[in-house]
Amino acid sequence: MSADAPLQLDRRALLAGGAAAAAGLAAWTAARRAFAPRAAVFVARDQRYDGPLEQTIRDGLTAVGVDVTQFRGKRVLLKPNLVEPSREIPHMTTHPAMILAAAAVFRRAGAAVTVGEGPGHVRDSEMALAESGVADALDSANLRFADLNYEETAWVKNAGRASDLEGFHFPRSVVEADLIVSLPKLKTHHWVGVTCAMKNLYGVIPGIKYGWPKNVLHHHGIPQTVYDINASLARTVAIVDGIDCMEGDGPIMGSLKRMGLILVGDNLPAVDATASRLMDLAPEAVTYLHLAADRLGPIADDRIEQRGEAWRPLASPFQILDKPHLNALRQRPGVRVS
Amino acid sequence: MRGWIDIALEHLAGHAVCGYSPGQAPASEPTGLAAMALLLHGRTAAAQPALRHLAEAQCEAGGVGIRRGEPNPQWPTSLAILAWQTSQDVRYRENLHKAIDSLLAVRGETMPRTPDLGHDTTLSAWPWVAGTHSWVEPTALAVLSLKAVGQSEHPRTREAVRMLIDRQIPGGGCNYGNTFCLGQKLRPHAQPTGLALAALAGESKGASRITASVAWLARNIDARTPVQSLCWALIGLAAHGAAPKNADSWLQDAWRRVSDRGVSSYKTALVLLAAKKRLQIAN
Repeated sequence: MSADAPLQLDRRALLAGGAAAAAGLAAWTAARRAFAPRAAVFVARDQRYDGPLEQTIRDGLTAVGVDVTQFRGKRVLLKPNLVEPSREIPHMTTHPAMILAAAAVFRRAGAAVTVGEGPGHVRDSEMALAESGVADALDSANLRFADLNYEETAWVKNAGRASDLEGFHFPRSVVEADLIVSLPKLKTHHWVGVTCAMKNLYGVIPGIKYGWPKNVLHHHGIPQTVYDINASLARTVAIVDGIDCMEGDGPIMGSLKRMGLILVGDNLPAVDATASRLMDLAPEAVTYLHLAADRLGPIADDRIEQRGEAWRPLASPFQILDKPHLNALRQRPGVRVS
Repeated sequence: MRGWIDIALEHLAGHAVCGYSPGQAPASEPTGLAAMALLLHGRTAAAQPALRHLAEAQCEAGGVGIRRGEPNPQWPTSLAILAWQTSQDVRYRENLHKAIDSLLAVRGETMPRTPDLGHDTTLSAWPWVAGTHSWVEPTALAVLSLKAVGQSEHPRTREAVRMLIDRQIPGGGCNYGNTFCLGQKLRPHAQPTGLALAALAGESKGASRITASVAWLARNIDARTPVQSLCWALIGLAAHGAAPKNADSWLQDAWRRVSDRGVSSYKTALVLLAAKKRLQIAN
């Protein structure tokens, strides 16, 4: 056939070509799925703050493949959620018993443990520690607190670039940590739907540089900056306080929702996706999880290996605000609405 | 026998250039507060290193960064203005004028009003960081500093006063700067309420909201209130003639707590300022 001859393909050839292309696409999709990231998430049920939390957390870390003995002599930073503590709303903040239990796990492994937080709405960190009950807990265990709002900072390049921020000023304790443990409270969030392990890491951003609230981040997009912060941090794991949770107008003004759960994982998107399913909210509709999917970790159910309890029997719908920007969370098939 | 104030002043005189916690690199906010505390207690010579440090943290355009060598953000500019103005030292006159010009050049971002937020988003005051929205504490500090240099009637000061009144939560008090969010009334906090009330001293408009905030704050502090919040609360209440009768003993107890924990110069400065019951305001 000359180069000038029109390309003529009969129907059979077209079908054959199409079938070959489809086969190629299927193979490519299968290969992509085969090589796509997988992660394990541990779920424990029937948990209580006066129960054997240390054992549960240790079991969870082991179940997801985290050998805590590797942190002997290393610096471990525990990052609870103390966004705006109030004695009247204990289900807003990470329970002190969870912090002590997580600290005990890493201390017994020989790690140097620090608890750090940069409360997002409160300039007086001593007030945040007192109102949350964390001050007494830290004293009782002789644990050091790093006030991430006021520490000296180091500039770290934004490895995510979902926002146009070129980098972040991270506090010294964050930069120097060998492991950052996100210790969130499982809550709804009135702007982004769900707040758990990834969103909790907003609290590593120093108020002295970004304000109270950390309005610089808001101006660059909450989902985008949640993704970027997580992409820019060194090694992280998550231990989720899902015992007494918050539904409705979270993360501050919502109502108590008892779940009795602890989640553990070394891939934060996978942990948050599982948390969303437990709340009966669609993880794909949480924008920062959508951004993180297959970049920072898996959020698809079939790529998350469940350890401990299966999530489906434990799922219980969390109420969310009836607002248009949250509709996608509950318009997905199978998502129930309270 | 020396009183606790003398002991606290002696500590601060030796650590006037200070960070937020012991051993931390010096920062402009605690150093500015230390300078003011020393000056108000008559320790002019001891305040000099702090005043110089603030000058060294000042950028060419006049703004003062959070630490020397960290020019942004510049919200501590207001504290430097207060410190230099309180010193009445002619050596800092140029620093002072440049800082005032720089402060007046910064405006919080506005946005159209939305039913999602309870406050008037069209009012512009001061942000923590340039390019973001106006919030209570940087605005209160800016108003205090502008009033201190005789700019009470400046249009920016007036708009900022309106903003601070607008950000008071119905029922009293304020927080970082939101009143209602998505229809939900939010909770007030002691520190921003105290700071806002200090800035609103002498204001007649919005009297009912100010009165409600004074009452809320008076009800919500006691001897156990953490030091920072207690000090700003007492400064704010004193600005409205509503200092609690136990204020002095609460401050003495607060100083004991500070000195038991490695003596934070930052908190020492706040306790000493609260003991004076005012930030020095010229007008």
